[in-house]
Amino acid sequence: MSRLDAFLAGLEFRTATPQYQPGDELPVIVTGRDGDDALVRIGDTRLRLPDTDVAVDEEVRIRVTAFDADRSTGEAELV
Amino acid sequence: MEEEPTIDAERGRSLEFHGGPAISAIPIGVFIVWAVFQSGVLGIGDTSGLVVGMLVGLIAGLPFVRGDWKAYADAIFEGMTQKVAATAAVAWLWAGMFANTIQAGGFVDGLVWAANAAEVGATLFPAVTFLLAGVLATGIGTGYGTTIAFVTLVFPAGLLLGTNPILLFGAILSGAVFGDNLAPVSDTTIVSAVTQNADIGGVVASRVKYAVAAAVPAFFAFLIAGTTMATTAPATGSGVTAGAAWGLLHLIPVAIVIGTAIRGRHIVEAVSWGLATAFVLNVLLGYFDLVEVGVSDVLVFMAPESSGLAATFDTAPLIGAVVETVPAGEAGIGGSLYNGAVGFFPLIVLTLLIVAGAQIMRRGGGFEALQNWLLERVATTVRRAEVTMVLGTAMVNAMVTINTAAEIAIAPYVRTLGRRFNINGYRRANILDANTSALGYIFPWGGGVLAGYSAMQTLPDEYAWFTADMIVNPAAVFPYVFHGWFLVAVFLFAAVTGFGREYVSDRESEEVSRV
Repeated sequence: MSRLDAFLAGLEFRTATPQYQPGDELPVIVTGRDGDDALVRIGDTRLRLPDTDVAVDEEVRIRVTAFDADRSTGEAELV
Repeated sequence: MEEEPTIDAERGRSLEFHGGPAISAIPIGVFIVWAVFQSGVLGIGDTSGLVVGMLVGLIAGLPFVRGDWKAYADAIFEGMTQKVAATAAVAWLWAGMFANTIQAGGFVDGLVWAANAAEVGATLFPAVTFLLAGVLATGIGTGYGTTIAFVTLVFPAGLLLGTNPILLFGAILSGAVFGDNLAPVSDTTIVSAVTQNADIGGVVASRVKYAVAAAVPAFFAFLIAGTTMATTAPATGSGVTAGAAWGLLHLIPVAIVIGTAIRGRHIVEAVSWGLATAFVLNVLLGYFDLVEVGVSDVLVFMAPESSGLAATFDTAPLIGAVVETVPAGEAGIGGSLYNGAVGFFPLIVLTLLIVAGAQIMRRGGGFEALQNWLLERVATTVRRAEVTMVLGTAMVNAMVTINTAAEIAIAPYVRTLGRRFNINGYRRANILDANTSALGYIFPWGGGVLAGYSAMQTLPDEYAWFTADMIVNPAAVFPYVFHGWFLVAVFLFAAVTGFGREYVSDRESEEVSRV
């Protein structure tokens, strides 16, 4: 990131429900658990990681496997 | 990724209290009540007093521990040895030395000179004062110090021109808010970055957009108010020093610190470069008789004159510059390095104790209970979470008026709430610091307002023309701290609209490599 980018980063109106595509890889914080599944909430977008053994608050890298843009929900797996 | 120890509600609870998890909040609770009573009710802005309040709080929680009290003592040590407290302490010590050294070199005089040289009239004076106070506070990182310096030196100059005193005080406080919020060497900036695991340079760069969005309307508000609000008759008399232009050269070390921090160097390195530059500048300014400053203003060993060895050193070349002989009762160390570092000692001890109290609340389950309530009932969407962070920070700052202490207390909640929505460290640090910086200078009982008010009370003794009725009542100034109000408004707007919001996946803060 250039020096100018550091000043300009975030200079926009960011949605409460960020959208993703299957195949997107991103760093996230695990925000909850539901049984064997880990949950990741990014703003008001919710991603589910089925059968994933990571603790809440852990920082991990995930790959989006499915995404419903209308409901801003999807599934992902650990990279 | 580095483990951040300040928040970890899931870590096993090892402390149990008679009365349940809520009792684990006693140390922090006693401290907050103490702080409200001391600073809010009695108006005593003594950080060392808060240290005693926190100590009493830690003792008060002890009798409620179920089982072995050793677990309670262990939690205190566990809290105090967290990296967050040590990091803030190191940054404060460096920042304190730097700020004092550029002040010793006549930086304030330089700004006063600039204010006079601009030859602005009574109506423009508040707007120009806001800008200059903002520059000073951004350089030295302390809004309190800026307030005291400007009330002492610039406020009388404005009254001599006939500027409205309430508006002028509001402009000084606004400049203090600006610098407290933006300066990389500001204690609140450091706390905001460290507690949210973000690098200080990146935090400063990312917060410029909010600071400018508030400062531009604030500047115009001071212009408009300056022309519409009644001015007083110009005070007659003199005694305001013109100041020396050469002190403005200290903008160079200020730019070096800000520049190197934003370029990604560690804050210790950035401030060390600035400190070295400021020292060389002071030596040159003093050598050429441009500013009344010498090596002994940066560091001096004041040895008792009864010591023969000290007398020898005093007259020796080179080392004699930093050794002086004084009456035995006045022996000690002095200079900007000493005063700058020592000035932060009470805040460092207070921080160590507050994080110890927070650790007890975490180990006892009180932290988790409050956090769950907030997440389940209040912060149910990302907008509500951010609004909660803004208002929560504002509320704690309204109660605990020493803003750095308030910031340390609320920081873990901002961190947890933000992380539960994957809001990145820069955004969390910005929400935390802006509202902390602003409100400490708005409420009439805020530490910054009281610091300025105290300084103002010394003016009648200093200037024969300055009468007691020129002193501004703290309760009168709060509507005119325009930059503070705009900053809070910008963040409420930002929380609701998503302006400036960044998620963890948008940009990872450089958390591990540097502070």
